[in-house]
Amino acid sequence: MSRLAAGGLIDRTRPLAFSFDGRRLGGFVGDTLASALVANDVRLVGRSFKYHRPRGILTAGPEEPNALVTIGAGARADPNSRATTASLYNGLEATSQNRWPTLALDVLAVNQLAAPLFVAGFYYKTFMWPAKLWERLYEPAIRRAAGLGRLSGEPDPDAYDRDHAFCDLLVIGAGAAGLMAALAAARAGLRVIVADEDARMGGRLLAERHEVDDRPGADWAGEVAAELASLGARLLARTTVFGVYDGQEYGAIERLTDHLAAPASGAPRQRFWKILARRAVLASGAIERPLVFSGNDRPGVMMAGAVSAYLNRFAAAPGRRAVVVTATDSGWTTARDLLAAGVELAAVVDARDAAPPAAADQARAAGAEVLLGARVSAVAGRSVRAVEVAASDGRTRRIACDLLAMSGGWNPAIGLGANLGARPVWSSAIQSFLIETPPPGMTPAGAAAGHFALAEALRDGARAGSAIAADLGVSAPAIQPPPCSDDPRGVAAPGPSPASKSKAFVDFQHDVTVSDIELAAREGFVSVEHLKRYTTLGMGTDQGKTSQLNGHAVLAEATGRPIAEVGTILSRPPYLPVAIAAFAGHHRGRDFRPERRTAGHDWAVEQGARFIDAGLWKRPQWFARPADGDWQATVNREVNTTRGGVGICDVSTLGKIDVLGPDAATLLDRLYINTVSTLAVGKARYGLMLREDGFAMDDGAASRLAEDRFFVTTTTANAARIMQHIDYARQVLWPDLDVQATSVTEQWATYSIAGPQSRSLLQRALPELDLSDAALPFMGVVEFRWRGERARLFRISFSGEMAFELSVPAALGDGLVRMLFDAGRAFDAAPYGAEALGVMRIEKGHPGGGELNGRTTAADLGMGRMMSRKKDFIGRVLAQRPGLIDPDRPALVGLKPVEPGARLRAGAHLVDLADRPTAESDQGYVTSAAWSPTLGHSIALALLRRGPRRHGDRVCVHDPVRGADVEAEVCAPVFVDPEGERLRG
Amino acid sequence: MAEALRIIQPGGLALAAVMARKGVDASTIGERLGLTPPTDPTAARNPSMTLIGTGPGTWLAVGEAGQGDWVAGLEATLAGIASVSDQSSGYVVLRFSGQGAGALLQKGAFIDLDPAAFAIGAAATTVIGHLGVILWKVDDAPSFDVALFRSYAKSFQAWIAANAGGQALPVSIA
Repeated sequence: MSRLAAGGLIDRTRPLAFSFDGRRLGGFVGDTLASALVANDVRLVGRSFKYHRPRGILTAGPEEPNALVTIGAGARADPNSRATTASLYNGLEATSQNRWPTLALDVLAVNQLAAPLFVAGFYYKTFMWPAKLWERLYEPAIRRAAGLGRLSGEPDPDAYDRDHAFCDLLVIGAGAAGLMAALAAARAGLRVIVADEDARMGGRLLAERHEVDDRPGADWAGEVAAELASLGARLLARTTVFGVYDGQEYGAIERLTDHLAAPASGAPRQRFWKILARRAVLASGAIERPLVFSGNDRPGVMMAGAVSAYLNRFAAAPGRRAVVVTATDSGWTTARDLLAAGVELAAVVDARDAAPPAAADQARAAGAEVLLGARVSAVAGRSVRAVEVAASDGRTRRIACDLLAMSGGWNPAIGLGANLGARPVWSSAIQSFLIETPPPGMTPAGAAAGHFALAEALRDGARAGSAIAADLGVSAPAIQPPPCSDDPRGVAAPGPSPASKSKAFVDFQHDVTVSDIELAAREGFVSVEHLKRYTTLGMGTDQGKTSQLNGHAVLAEATGRPIAEVGTILSRPPYLPVAIAAFAGHHRGRDFRPERRTAGHDWAVEQGARFIDAGLWKRPQWFARPADGDWQATVNREVNTTRGGVGICDVSTLGKIDVLGPDAATLLDRLYINTVSTLAVGKARYGLMLREDGFAMDDGAASRLAEDRFFVTTTTANAARIMQHIDYARQVLWPDLDVQATSVTEQWATYSIAGPQSRSLLQRALPELDLSDAALPFMGVVEFRWRGERARLFRISFSGEMAFELSVPAALGDGLVRMLFDAGRAFDAAPYGAEALGVMRIEKGHPGGGELNGRTTAADLGMGRMMSRKKDFIGRVLAQRPGLIDPDRPALVGLKPVEPGARLRAGAHLVDLADRPTAESDQGYVTSAAWSPTLGHSIALALLRRGPRRHGDRVCVHDPVRGADVEAEVCAPVFVDPEGERLRG
Repeated sequence: MAEALRIIQPGGLALAAVMARKGVDASTIGERLGLTPPTDPTAARNPSMTLIGTGPGTWLAVGEAGQGDWVAGLEATLAGIASVSDQSSGYVVLRFSGQGAGALLQKGAFIDLDPAAFAIGAAATTVIGHLGVILWKVDDAPSFDVALFRSYAKSFQAWIAANAGGQALPVSIA
């Protein structure tokens, strides 16, 4: 055990049990999985992506590239979890990844021997030929060998929540700068939200031994958090702001139960926040930069700041005998932390020629060697056993140790600042990149703005918070930053140490070495974005948070350019990985999308309806009965019942629009190809609308209920589009017209009662109405009251039979359908579904979705003569384009098979019998097909070149996908009752 | 103690879309109704009616169905100056009351429901869980009314059940 006897922010009275690769281990409340592993002397935690090299814990934060594990088991297994940010809980099961058979003995570690082959662009260079093997062999094999954790493959058992928040100021990161900014704003009375990735507020104050306002930094942070809460600020712990979007919108994920052993049943696991913030402070801190030398990826090599975090916050010593290698003063802080924790300090290796004197004296006094102007040249041991140091005198020293703490300086964590496209700008003062033009409303502060030292960070945060309050027009006394202990930092240039060779790693997660980047540069990949794609530098779950800058420094050197010119990549959301389920939230499975139900839905369910999706609507497809046998028999029965007696169909899903006002008729004349203004009150008319480009858009019926009152129907699919079209026409094209319109689709439940017995059924149901041809002729409309409410009866037919459409307010729809079937019992009325409706409309040659497909003209559909010559209407001019009036265009015909038993299928192509079926000989295609129980054979509607002039011809219906070719006769598209006698009764 | 969250479906409401005729302003309509319709996304109310601004020159009128045909009466009152479409069945209206009401609706609506930003009478035409809604604040209980197209009622019920976190029995929508 490497747990220190005292100190840290862990609760030693609350022990926790957990397991790693089946080993049972212990920790305390307050631990992360990584700190508990450190405390249990577990050093090997994972295998690298490409070479399967053994890897240990590198960091103590979300930037961790190595310590990715699978947490949980079964359907709850969460791969690629960062051990460094996963809170420990009782019973946590962690499993290592990307190794076989075990973490200690990984067979694919032989990849290392072939390392000279695994260079940048290896896959592109090696697996080129034969190309057809790529999908079948190469890619699956590579994916198995290289990679990270695996998904369970089971449905996610957890629920995910969603919420929205609004604030004056969003503070991203609750470290010293973030807390000061939040405090300044909250004291000024602003609405403040503070989001922090960690389980508790404080940022690096939790991991360092600084004092703020004469208190330990962690205590000060806790007091500020309490004050913020008392001022009404919303503190979101365990919350990652992962993206910045237009309009000052921020995306965040709050982890609600990932840290709990036994979450309450049904409690959401994570919450996806959309936050609209007038201002934001990016106080995301800084990420320590690794040093680049041979063997820098060995377990036991750790960031100096992480070593301090494990010692100070978690009271866990990552080693027993340590060497610190540093390029700035930061490493000396860790040296002191090691001494304070009682860890043996073997040496401090500083690349500079001078060290902070007091720290150096303290190290020497403790017996440590201080090597200035020196660098680590190699690491011995699979896990660190010793380091080789190239001293300033040119000699190489070997120093035994089991922990190497490295510090190469700090990079501001500016990823979110680049989300909207601002290129980070090089700062020679801090030897790193900064955001100069942050997204609108955002202010970087503290270490994220390059103010690394604690006093600077506190001051910068206070300044940012006060400035924002003033900017938002709130006057409040300026807030004074509290005093704090000294925090020497210093800066150093990124890049490799000159002595490094062979495996000096730049990107630990993706196994990108210095030589990989140099090779890529030689091969011409000299843009940072190309370098990323070619070498995979900065890809993966960590997106190169520790590696990018060193990589870009190597590229700068290799191409002889200053790093300011080379630049760095743009970070895109998400800043850290987000579970896709968190975005889906409630909307998955049954709730993937909303469902629309008609008023008669429950009744249809009772009748055993099978439903089909029509957009979001659920429509009864058919109503099977036990005697039917199969669905075709059901549909045949429904058609036969309707044509022979009476059938009832729910047509409530059709779009319905009230078009009102003195100029309603004028507007409709401009929308439909035919004239509507001549319609008498109490009459309906079929109409067709074109798009502006002259193609048919939608058809429906317009009914005139009063001089200034029309009721327009649309197809189910186009309901919203026609509403938009009407609004566009009246608001944008002709704002001078006095016409109003609104969708009333939802107001009315409508049933079609069709068949020779339809009138008798209705007369029984509505005895007070006069349904005679004289009172209600074909295309007539009457309004009346049913159960005290407004009701309408239209004599309209889609089936070709005598038919009525009866509309009542939707709240009465369920009652209506039950009443109709009560009345229909005497007539053996049957409900029919969308399938039978489709069969009957094909039998009647009415265009449906297959024909109104956006590529047909009115003439193609046989409605050329409906186009009025006396008025203008949308689409009239462009419908006259040569291509659209070409007499050879495919136009609507009917098809019937020469062999009565043969089956026609929609989608099949038409070719002349003498021709080979090729694209060149194509004459058209089948748009709709059905089995006609009325005729006893298959029928189809088709678009055929010169079709209307070819009735009686025979064509080949070519269907290479589903079956053999069928010979068919071209005929008129109306198969049943072409004279329309049945309609009129 | 007041209930944290209560969801009811007020019965007997009459609803209508009211659309001003060309050139008719809100005050002219207000003279006939005795209630000036708002010209912004807010709700105006008197004892017999609520008018919610849903667009330029467009309102959702909410009244008590009571005796006779309320919408027909409205139509007659506004004859010549506004078009009226009966929507009594088109929308389902639910009332969310109690301390948990705002928090629940905030999970769905990306509209600031903080009392300072969304006072009594504030209204929004927005979406909750992909469902189009008209949302307005009735009182400081607080109570919010939500109108949504009837066919989506089951999906809205499922959204409520998933998000109310056991605070309220899922409402049964008729």
